[in-house]
Amino acid sequence: MDFLEKYELYACFQCGKCTGGCPLSLRTALNIRFLMREVLLGGKPDTALHREELWDCTTCATCTLRCPRGLKPSEFIVGLRAELVEEGKVPKTVIDALEGTYKHGNPWGRVRQKRSEWRDGLEVKILPEEGQAEWLYFVGCAPSYDPRLQGIPRTLCRILEKAHVDFGILGTKESCCGNEIRRMGEEGLFEELIEENTEHFRASGAKTLVTTSPHCFNALGTEYRLEGFQVFHYTQLLSELVKEGKVGFSHEVKKKVVFHDPCFLGKQNGVFDPPRDILKVIPGIELLEFERSRDRSLCCEGGGGRMWVEGTGQGERNSEIRVRDAHAIGAEVIATACPFCLLTLEDAAKTTALDEKVLIKDILELAAEAMESDHI
Amino acid sequence: MDVIVCIKRVPEVAEVDLQVDSTGKGLQKKDLVFSINDWDNYAVEEAVRIKEKFGGTVTVITIGPKESEDVLRRALALGVDEAVRVTDPATEGSDGYVLAKILAAVIKDIPYDLILTGVQADDDGYAQVGTTLAEFLGIAHATLVTDIAIEEKRTKVRRELEGGMEEVLDVELPALFTIQSGINEPRYISIFGIRKVAKKEIKVLDLSTLGLSPNNVGEEGSMIGISRIFPPPVDKRAEILVGGPDEVAAKVTDIFEKAGVI
Repeated sequence: MDFLEKYELYACFQCGKCTGGCPLSLRTALNIRFLMREVLLGGKPDTALHREELWDCTTCATCTLRCPRGLKPSEFIVGLRAELVEEGKVPKTVIDALEGTYKHGNPWGRVRQKRSEWRDGLEVKILPEEGQAEWLYFVGCAPSYDPRLQGIPRTLCRILEKAHVDFGILGTKESCCGNEIRRMGEEGLFEELIEENTEHFRASGAKTLVTTSPHCFNALGTEYRLEGFQVFHYTQLLSELVKEGKVGFSHEVKKKVVFHDPCFLGKQNGVFDPPRDILKVIPGIELLEFERSRDRSLCCEGGGGRMWVEGTGQGERNSEIRVRDAHAIGAEVIATACPFCLLTLEDAAKTTALDEKVLIKDILELAAEAMESDHI
Repeated sequence: MDVIVCIKRVPEVAEVDLQVDSTGKGLQKKDLVFSINDWDNYAVEEAVRIKEKFGGTVTVITIGPKESEDVLRRALALGVDEAVRVTDPATEGSDGYVLAKILAAVIKDIPYDLILTGVQADDDGYAQVGTTLAEFLGIAHATLVTDIAIEEKRTKVRRELEGGMEEVLDVELPALFTIQSGINEPRYISIFGIRKVAKKEIKVLDLSTLGLSPNNVGEEGSMIGISRIFPPPVDKRAEILVGGPDEVAAKVTDIFEKAGVI
């Protein structure tokens, strides 16, 4: 199958809904409708490959969701990046992320031996070496290594323990899920990561997986084709535990909170309500909504490899727009449930000088505040 | 233009807590991740660029066990034509002089115009093999090369000097250059690219095929032997402050004040 057939470019009737919905098209040269046409007329991807803006795409997939012909423009961008990967012509920062993942199992190239340092003394069962468990918690690279995020998996573990959920982790055996690796065009490395992680999932003895990150949730849940496993994002598990009365919130968190839907949780996997259900039962929280929320949520620009690519274009970043919007509706906290969203939004709170007015928190951080044992 | 590149597989140790092994002369290698020496990666890229521009062939050579074929495969995926691996248990513990001697024995049977090596290896950092190899072969060499411009049978190379200066040398070929990192931007080698060359032949040579005796290599044949490896002792004057950021900051300013710095 050639490139044009693979991405069904013949079926595109150039309506432009893809570019119209693209969260980058107002700010950068990225024009997905144009790229589809250019490659169709050229008969091959070559003419589009030199365009630097190919790396601006966050693979939020708004274009794919809105295409009236059912095409997948965001996958077409990934396909163009894959051509560049095979030619070896990718930005240096992307090379570092890919090689870091190949060598050390994470895109930051941090050593594997330190992958479990986030535990900071917390005892969590390593599967299968330290026993059996029903649930396998897939921590993910960013929460494992980034000091700003390391408290999030610790909190989740404490909550699961409290709710008597039988769970364990892979420890240093866990490797990058590969969600962003595939989106940077490195299909071969993604295949290797699937193979490696799946082997560990099977050996763990667990049958249910839960992830910190919506990116891992997407990869494991929809792209690994795991047979015999169920995959959940932590907001799904936590909202169930709340409904079953296994987790309760006793402390008030008197804040106006707006929830930012991560693209890989909401738009791409339809998980809109569980995060809101958790926030709604935390006493004291007044839950607000962005004008652009749920499947219209504005991408924070942290996905699709953008954690390792600065991106082109001038003007305000989406994350900055998001922080300003939150401030405008009176929100004191933007709650999210994605490590990348958390980091990009927190940076934006600083660059807009709103960091003292709008706090950026993961839902688990708010949950910890609302639980009895405040030290969580 | 036929180019030979000598490469080495080295451990990545940036964030690792290294431990001295039981002999006291080496480091524990278990759990270490190995890859091509960074300088050598630039050298392979430069050789392939020369081939793409002027034609000819590129051959890579490494000395090491079976695992070293990783770095050879990677070079083949990058566009190298031939790969050679020298392996023999007797080579363990060889110094730069011996490694250069072995490489010279391999190279005597391969036609070449140019030999490239990295400036030094990431692990032991001696920077000896390139220059010693040039001496064995009786050819000109230049170290710390940051640019190569080939003109017929001669080449103009740029070298990095101290103090931010550079010099350009006019060198007659054949010659050997040790390549400084940053000479180019090495391309990415994809997993599919490596898989494509998985079955390509790698020529394996041992000491007897090279006409070398075990007495001339390894620790026995080396001019330099390692006496001891150890982490540098912590000086008494060093004080490590512990505590949270605020606490540490307060202690630092306290020390500064007492010392009259602020």
